[in-house]
Amino acid sequence: MKLKKIKIVNFGQFSNVTFDLSSPKLNVFYGTNEAGKSTVVAFIKQIMFGFHLKKQSSTFFEDYTPLARVSPMGGSLFFENNQGDLFELERLYAGGKGLKGGTLTVKLNEQIVPESVFFEEIKNIDGDFYADSFIFNQDMLAKVEKIQQTDLLERIYYLGASNSDQLIDLRDDFAKKASEIFKKMGSNPPLNVLFNKLKDQRIKVDEAENEFNDYRTLSEQEKTQASALRDQEQALQKLQSEQEQLRQLQNQVPNYRKLIELEQEVEQVEFDPEKYQAAQRLDLEAKNLQKEQSELEQQLANFSSNDENQIPLKLLVQKKPEILQWRAEDRDCQQDFQQVSQQQEQLLTLNPDLHQITNLTQVDIIQLQNDFEKLPASEDNTSSSENAVGKYATIGSGLIFVIGIILLVASSPLIGGFVMLIGLVGACWGIGKQKQEKRVLIQQAKQAKLIKEQRITFSHKYGLNPDQLDLHSLVNEWRQYQMLEQKKQNDLQHERELNEQLAKIAMKISATLDRSIEPSFEAVIASLDELENRLANSRHIADQRIDLQKRLAKTQAKLHDLNLRLKTAFAQAQVQDMAEYQVLQAKSTRQAELKTKISLLKDNLGENLAEIKQLQESNQVAKKLETVQIKIDQKQEVIKDLQTKDAETKVKMTNLANSNAVFAAKQELANTETEFRNLSIEYLANLAASKWISRALDLASNERFPKMLKTAKEYLRLLTNNRYNSLNIDKKLTVTRFDGKKIKVQYLSRGTSEQLYFALKLAFVEQIKDQINLPILIDDSFVNFDDQRVNQIKQLLGQVSENNQVLIFTAQAGLVEKLQLKPLTFTKGTE
Amino acid sequence: MKFIHLADAHLDSPFLGLSFLPSKSSLQIHQAPNKSFTKIVDLALKEDVDLVLIAGDTFDSARPNPSTQIFFAEQIERLTKAQIQVVMIFGNHDHMAEADLLVPESQYFKLLGDEEKIESITCQTKTGFTYDVTGFSYLNNHITEDKASQFPSKAAHYTFGLMHAQEKTNQSAQDVYAPFSLTALKDLNYDYFALGHIHLRQVLAKDPWIVYSGNIQGRHINETDKKGCYLGEINEQTKETTIQFVQTGPIVWQQQVIKLNSEVSQTELQNLIIDSLNPNETTYFCLQISGAEYLNDKERELIQENDFWRMISNQLDYDSQLVDVRLSANSQLKIAESDLAFFNRAEKELFATDEFTELSKDWAKKDELSNQLENAPDFLQEVKELAEVKLNSKLKGISDEVKEN
Repeated sequence: MKLKKIKIVNFGQFSNVTFDLSSPKLNVFYGTNEAGKSTVVAFIKQIMFGFHLKKQSSTFFEDYTPLARVSPMGGSLFFENNQGDLFELERLYAGGKGLKGGTLTVKLNEQIVPESVFFEEIKNIDGDFYADSFIFNQDMLAKVEKIQQTDLLERIYYLGASNSDQLIDLRDDFAKKASEIFKKMGSNPPLNVLFNKLKDQRIKVDEAENEFNDYRTLSEQEKTQASALRDQEQALQKLQSEQEQLRQLQNQVPNYRKLIELEQEVEQVEFDPEKYQAAQRLDLEAKNLQKEQSELEQQLANFSSNDENQIPLKLLVQKKPEILQWRAEDRDCQQDFQQVSQQQEQLLTLNPDLHQITNLTQVDIIQLQNDFEKLPASEDNTSSSENAVGKYATIGSGLIFVIGIILLVASSPLIGGFVMLIGLVGACWGIGKQKQEKRVLIQQAKQAKLIKEQRITFSHKYGLNPDQLDLHSLVNEWRQYQMLEQKKQNDLQHERELNEQLAKIAMKISATLDRSIEPSFEAVIASLDELENRLANSRHIADQRIDLQKRLAKTQAKLHDLNLRLKTAFAQAQVQDMAEYQVLQAKSTRQAELKTKISLLKDNLGENLAEIKQLQESNQVAKKLETVQIKIDQKQEVIKDLQTKDAETKVKMTNLANSNAVFAAKQELANTETEFRNLSIEYLANLAASKWISRALDLASNERFPKMLKTAKEYLRLLTNNRYNSLNIDKKLTVTRFDGKKIKVQYLSRGTSEQLYFALKLAFVEQIKDQINLPILIDDSFVNFDDQRVNQIKQLLGQVSENNQVLIFTAQAGLVEKLQLKPLTFTKGTE
Repeated sequence: MKFIHLADAHLDSPFLGLSFLPSKSSLQIHQAPNKSFTKIVDLALKEDVDLVLIAGDTFDSARPNPSTQIFFAEQIERLTKAQIQVVMIFGNHDHMAEADLLVPESQYFKLLGDEEKIESITCQTKTGFTYDVTGFSYLNNHITEDKASQFPSKAAHYTFGLMHAQEKTNQSAQDVYAPFSLTALKDLNYDYFALGHIHLRQVLAKDPWIVYSGNIQGRHINETDKKGCYLGEINEQTKETTIQFVQTGPIVWQQQVIKLNSEVSQTELQNLIIDSLNPNETTYFCLQISGAEYLNDKERELIQENDFWRMISNQLDYDSQLVDVRLSANSQLKIAESDLAFFNRAEKELFATDEFTELSKDWAKKDELSNQLENAPDFLQEVKELAEVKLNSKLKGISDEVKEN
């Protein structure tokens, strides 16, 4: 790929400048310093690989005055390849538009093609590769000068690879990062720290894992302790039961003593409880009988004091029916009296005139009658009425007589006869009467006149109106009245007699009862009843008394018998009386109680009796107890101690059982391991990346180096003015000096090393010429073109330009002259 | 007859890479193996199995935490009280002596092959079905001899093999866990070989059965998938055996990959992550970001931070957690074509075992863990991936410099 023309539109200090490169081999640009040589170099590089603005620092040589702010910036390069095809690369950058690197247009034989068509021609290298391999200028020199001697050697070595400088930096960068993470002998880098941490934590895990053994040991220990504890506890139990036994014995000592006491009280008593009970019964019976007897006697005594004369009483009582008769009579009298009085009243009522004459005596009445008869009759009324009476009496009697006949015939001759007799009498009387009446009437009629005067006198004397007076009936009534009056008097008389007799009886009763008895029927009868009761009572008592006397006799006999039997019983029991017998019984009971108590005590003491007897006698119980207590105390102390130890062990075991230490330690270790692993990956990745680059460089170099050496040898000879004439590679790179001495690269001087570097670089470019053939740009500040070496340089350039087009940028007129070429010159601004 | 086959309970084992978890989750993960074990015992009781086979590494260490031993003893007692036969061996982690066990004596508990002796027992189920169990326990953490070859011939009745072992490899240095040959094991023709040691559940053979039940709870991101035990049923007439996996591990580990093909903003990245993590049970995720070179330094730093993981985890269901993020590059190195071949060759050479050993020897020989990691392929892979990401991102920086400007 040869550069034919450089056409600058605007770049740096240039505007519209065109350089035609006449030679496909060697071209010279001549100009003083600051004429624009570096700008052209930058232009060539940047048109191909993109603009590089000053504000961004570049590894390479673009550090120059800012590009002019004229628009559009850029220009074109025209290349011709081996096949004669013409490439035009136009790169322009209009302020603010498009890519910062400028817009590249590639034309192949004036046809626009994709830029890749061009870049494939140069195997897709980048700007760095180009700058590193094809440009030899002051910047490069300055850079090389900065490189350490040893690094320089390495770089020489790696010149076989493209981009070797950057790759070496990158490699070193990775190596540095790796060594920041881990250093073989270091202790501070993080991975070294982790190595130590791992070791520490493994120890910790190991220690933690001892927990398992500790636990097992503790577990065994615990078993032993527990078994020892059990043994001790059993021993303690034994002692405690022994103590309990002794305490029981001790508690039974008072019982034992009591037993002894009681046994001493025991004696023989003859006593038959059945016989005693029989005697008791007899005694009780006798007492009851005795009591009965005295009661009976008392009763009898009471009866005898009550004795009295019953005869007058009896007589009085016998009067009672008589008195009852009297009372009935008395009542009849009274009733009769009243009846009669009523009849009198009735009479008086019926005939008021009677009133006037009731007090008259028989004599008076005869007088009256005489008086009245002496009175002349005024009227015949009297006779007629008298006639009628006789008549009627005769008729009535006749009637009765008839009835008497009927009766005589019909039923009873006695009654019939009697009735006939009455009738006959009546009839006779009636006839007689009728005759009398007729005589009266005649007399009356004779005396009628006389009577009238007499009449008035009469009425005054007797208060009776003779005109109206039926004296006869009046007298009859008066007789009736008087008869009634007589009757009354009789009744009164009878009453008086009865009362007198009653009073006599009452007096007798009063005397008998020794209290005053009212002489009335009621009182007397009541007192008689009382007397009657009293009499009955007396008779009853007398009966009882006889009965009592019989019973008393019986009881006395029975009592006598009982007393005999009691005496026999007492005799059998050898006692005098019941009291003595009771004493004997009490004695017997007490002995029975004693026996019971003794038996109870013996039961209570049971099997201990023998032991207690023995111990009590020597008084050893208390002593023994004391000894046992001491043993118990000691044992408890031991147990307590064992328990504490066992508990401690158990706590330790529990702590271990609950412990998370192993896991925690392992987890911590695992975490560290993870951290370690990750950091190791980082470390090894860096290390590997570094090594990888190294290795790739090695491979590239090793491939190319032998071929490069041949060319480089000649270049080095020319560059060193024949001082060093050979290069060898035999594991290590050596340089052969003019005197035939082989010198290892590291022993070369700085200057020679640099020359070797350039020689190799040029050789590398030549080496890759078949793949990548681009112009080599050489600035004279790069090579010492002094007069002495000028021929060598000319020769060198001649050789180089056989393979690659070479563009020389120089300010040395001598060189231009030596090269015998027409130089391209710079004109500032627009040309 | 029914039986349960479990192995590698690793009770009380720590969990790698989870130190940043909130305490609730820490507790959850700590208790996970115990929970899983309790669930297995529950299952045994519920199914009324006749036999529980425990194929080693019950404890994570030969000197386990006493509390763990007590826990284990309690759980075993639940089984023996229900007259369920338990046959157990020790593995390379719990290489203990029988006397070290705190399990109370019971006719239903048998530690098989104490002191690395091969031992057989004959048992009978309640229904009178007779079976043998043959196996051995570790006393040391390594057994180099092929124990399986010393197993007795199968008896007439149903025979279980119980072994904590690893199949023979080509490297004798790794054959330290009673290495066996699968062919020899098949030739023994035991009806069911219950294996432990490999945490990945797998059936090595079906006729006869040779089975790893896997561990009962995943302990880190490389132990993904559901974890638990096998529940087996034997037809007592035909002796035909069927097995069924029962999940008991409460936490599942899962790897999740996202691919980046271009640069993303932080928010986009966050959404991408959340969308990709869809747990349907308690899941601990490891996120693999392929194309990590598209992340800038800040983003790369951010997604490696525990705080960021916590923030993501808070948005996940079932108490799930994002617990790891791994980066890998998915594009070629950005390097001049002329040298790409050299880089690729360099990578191959570099990550070949010997070269890497040489490279990492200072680091590796410093500690047993680093030595162990050096030999772990997954570790090597992670280193390689990160180196790729790092280098790619840097080279990208170099080549992008011009373009970006």
